[in-house]
Amino acid sequence: MKLKIESAETPDREQLRSLLTEAAEQLTGTGTNILETRLRWDGQPLLLADANLHPVLVSFEPEHSEAALLNGLRGVEQLCNALPWINQVYEPLQQQQQPPKLVVVAREFPPGASAVLRLCPGLSLYRYRLFSVNGEIALWLEHLNPPPAMPAAQESAPRQDAAALPQEASNDILPPLSDAESAYFQQL
Amino acid sequence: MVSRLNPAWQRKSTSSSRLAEISARFLGTTQAATHRDDFCRAIPFLLDTPAQHWITDELGQILTQRGHPCTLCHPGEANPMEHSFRQAQAAEAPGSDEYCLLAVTCPATLLKYGVDHVVLLVPASLDGIRDAYQRIKLLSQHGAPDVGIVLVGPRDQHAAWRYFRKLAVGTLRYLDVPLLNLGFLPEQIGPGQDAEASHRHNFLARISERLLHSGFYSTLTMTTPRRNA
Repeated sequence: MKLKIESAETPDREQLRSLLTEAAEQLTGTGTNILETRLRWDGQPLLLADANLHPVLVSFEPEHSEAALLNGLRGVEQLCNALPWINQVYEPLQQQQQPPKLVVVAREFPPGASAVLRLCPGLSLYRYRLFSVNGEIALWLEHLNPPPAMPAAQESAPRQDAAALPQEASNDILPPLSDAESAYFQQL
Repeated sequence: MVSRLNPAWQRKSTSSSRLAEISARFLGTTQAATHRDDFCRAIPFLLDTPAQHWITDELGQILTQRGHPCTLCHPGEANPMEHSFRQAQAAEAPGSDEYCLLAVTCPATLLKYGVDHVVLLVPASLDGIRDAYQRIKLLSQHGAPDVGIVLVGPRDQHAAWRYFRKLAVGTLRYLDVPLLNLGFLPEQIGPGQDAEASHRHNFLARISERLLHSGFYSTLTMTTPRRNA
């Protein structure tokens, strides 16, 4: 069968919501539960529970990446405040009171997100594209930041000095860029 | 008048290992002869992806054709691959290879070897030079080797220069690491394109000339790859 792949037009918010709901496991891994497809907060994000019973807020915007990030940060703050209530209401969380995670899906990398990423290990950024494959709309998600190198349980532990671990450094553990360096490499 | 070059275009001062080698070669002939087999002149290449192995493969062949027998080695991989480009009649005692090309994709492997020279194969894109910068940053935190750059896939020499300049100014400004421009491989050439073979050969020959001319290699002690019988 021949595949005819074309880029599709920017979706409206509801179309993107339905595509993201279908792709929930792509965002948070297998074993994901959908808790809410429309939270009544800014941006009306999705609420999921991942396999480790963390509540995951999925903030998205078809066009405005900044709004997706800001709404998501605001939503996570609300989620933190409402964590006992959230755990009581949604059975899949099993009253584990795990800290929430944030997934931001936008068309482009939100400005200022690299600084926020360094401070928030629980934040994941995805860039999306829509394609039409033989007339069917397909969602393509690109993870913009690698998953944290350390397991969640060790996130609060002090980092070991990289100089002491030359053999363990790998392609995936490269030193982060400072704000000045990031800004310098933003454009040619 | 003392000429003042931008440090980005200046070679770093000779490393202590290089001085030791020169000293052994010219000041103590007996000692140098005795220890010759202990040294390996390695040119370490840090590849962006394993798909770039064709570059080190062909570079090895070109260096061999130019009278500098090469052994290619891919250390740190599941099945370390070695390949000698020498002709059968040129097979000599172990240690007689002039150069050993170490092709790796992981900076950790280079750190383990403690090399003082590294050639980075850098894709000609903003993401490519940003990744290269991060790799140089990692290497510079563990001993600041001399870094040579080969741009892979720019449209032309002007594009190659723009990418190199961006990277070189960045490493000099933020890391105080000068870079050596070893050349570029334009986007039109690649592996398996026979029609472009001579074109590709010319670019690779130019890179090999610069490597030889600038003496861009690390001296490793007894880290020569095991030879096949």
